[in-house]
Amino acid sequence: MKKWMKLAIRNILRNKRRSLVTLLAIGVGFGAISLFYGYVNNMYEGLRFSAIRGEGLGNLTINKAGWQEKGKLEPEKYMFSKAETEKMIRLVTEENGVVLATPQIQVAGIVSNGITSTIFIAQGVVPGDDRTIKGAWAAFRPIKGEGLHDQKPYGVEIAQDLARYLNLQPGQDGVVMATTLGGQMNAMDIQVAGVYDSGSDATNDKYMRFTFEFAQSLVDTHNAERIVVLLDNWEHTEKMRGILLKKLSQAGLACEIKTWNELSLFYSKVKGMFDMMFLFLFSIVLVIVVMSTVNTMGMAVMERTREIGTLRALGLKRRGVSLLFAMEGGLLGLFGSLIGVVLHISVWAVIRALSPTYTPPGISTPVPLIVDLVPQALFVLMLCLLFLSLFAAIIPARRAAQQNVVDALGHV
Amino acid sequence: MALIEMENITKDYFLGETVVHALQGVDLQIDKGEFVAIWGPSGSGKTTLLNLIGAIDEPSAGDLAIAGREVRSLSDNQRSELRNDTIGFIFQGFNLIPVLSALENVMLPLQIKGVSSGEAKAKALNRLQEVGLGDLIRHRPFKMSGGQQQRVAIARALVNDPSLVIAAEPTANLDSETARMIIALMRELNDKEETTFIFSTHDQRLLDQVKRLVRLEDGRIVDGGLKP
Repeated sequence: MKKWMKLAIRNILRNKRRSLVTLLAIGVGFGAISLFYGYVNNMYEGLRFSAIRGEGLGNLTINKAGWQEKGKLEPEKYMFSKAETEKMIRLVTEENGVVLATPQIQVAGIVSNGITSTIFIAQGVVPGDDRTIKGAWAAFRPIKGEGLHDQKPYGVEIAQDLARYLNLQPGQDGVVMATTLGGQMNAMDIQVAGVYDSGSDATNDKYMRFTFEFAQSLVDTHNAERIVVLLDNWEHTEKMRGILLKKLSQAGLACEIKTWNELSLFYSKVKGMFDMMFLFLFSIVLVIVVMSTVNTMGMAVMERTREIGTLRALGLKRRGVSLLFAMEGGLLGLFGSLIGVVLHISVWAVIRALSPTYTPPGISTPVPLIVDLVPQALFVLMLCLLFLSLFAAIIPARRAAQQNVVDALGHV
Repeated sequence: MALIEMENITKDYFLGETVVHALQGVDLQIDKGEFVAIWGPSGSGKTTLLNLIGAIDEPSAGDLAIAGREVRSLSDNQRSELRNDTIGFIFQGFNLIPVLSALENVMLPLQIKGVSSGEAKAKALNRLQEVGLGDLIRHRPFKMSGGQQQRVAIARALVNDPSLVIAAEPTANLDSETARMIIALMRELNDKEETTFIFSTHDQRLLDQVKRLVRLEDGRIVDGGLKP
């Protein structure tokens, strides 16, 4: 095999300019795919972090069975009672890999500074648990002010555009109004404990965060709408959903569980769009690689027809001729991929050195442009292009092998 | 048993709707150790006859046996093995692989056979020394003269110790002195190793050296007797 490999390499080097063009086509194609993958991979990671930590979705959200369908019409019926909530938290936190399980409630209503009023959507959260869920996100998007605290239930956090609209600063007072579960209008005084950036233009002008206790008082209930579960590893999300569904069902707690990516519409839509773009780019590169390799190998077969005849006359079997040309195609794929790896690492290093930023649509602040270097992905892509080139070379290789020896020897 | 046995061989080519009768009822036997020239005017069927003897083409009709093996009954792979084991080829245009050195070109038939690299190298080196090219083993074909290239081709044809060497116009592209040297070399190998050589040629210098002349005209053997 070594001797044929040597012959294949020398044949590739025989027409340096043509081989170089093919290698560059494969290399640039590889680089385009791998860099796009690196960028998208980093973006998905950021969006995942933002959804789980920033939006506070945790990894899993447990609602009472039927909540998604009828919860808005009959909220009290589809909420967890205090006893159910405590039982559920106990059962969930028993599982390995669960960092915490915390009750939450969502409230919508009107917030006023005494002069101006506007709508709000607020999450009622347990302050300590919320800090745990936020984790490193708190450093990434710090809160202006002291934030929520159990000792100060009327203290609320308010998203930055909403705070600007109402001209509310930390320490200032306001009023929130909402409908209780019984259908009565309720109003409660608030004090701004913090102003935060929700991360999205779409939510920065309407989001607020209350303590769980305050949100319960506002809608006049002792129940919880959902239990948010945080795991130590996001990759175990699906597996844990299965475990918890079974366990809670056995405990007589009929519930439905959604994962963070099912609840984060933004993540799902962005991922769907970029997955489609990746597929589109990959298809283009696939066509370029196949066409370049077929063209190069086709020319090689034509130019070396007499040589193929000679090798056949010397006793090389058809399979041997096919193998030789397929090997050349595979080597083009391999060397092209190596050029692509060098290109990827170079661009990755330049981006790391320059640390550029940009503001994606719908995002409130600039984010760093980062391209991940994922060795496993590079390796898989390399294998992909190698086999693709090998496959592309099979067509001309088979044509070479099928040639009549006499005709091949007489080829001019 | 004859090395080559041809009985009532015909070979037809189709050029569009026209049928060209390249060989018509050829009977020929060639024994081991012969030094045979096939000659005749252009279009008489010399190349076709050599292609059949070399098992790179098959007859339209008739029986052909090489080293006791009926060619028609062999698969493509078996014919490849037969060529590799039994037949050496010397081409008019040398047909060396340009990306390989002289040594690597000569090693090629052995490597196709699956002989280990070390053994192939030793045998190829030995053959190159026999043809007087022991000093040029690392040279690529384009750095060698026509005569040197043809000697590499001879070494390549002989490296597998074949029973039969087929040479198509082996001196056609060579100057007189080189041609004389090549003829002498082939004759010497024929005498020393009893390797059968079959040529197609117009070269009188070569025709003067052969032991047997087979004259073809219009696809038929008109004179196949021993050279006087």
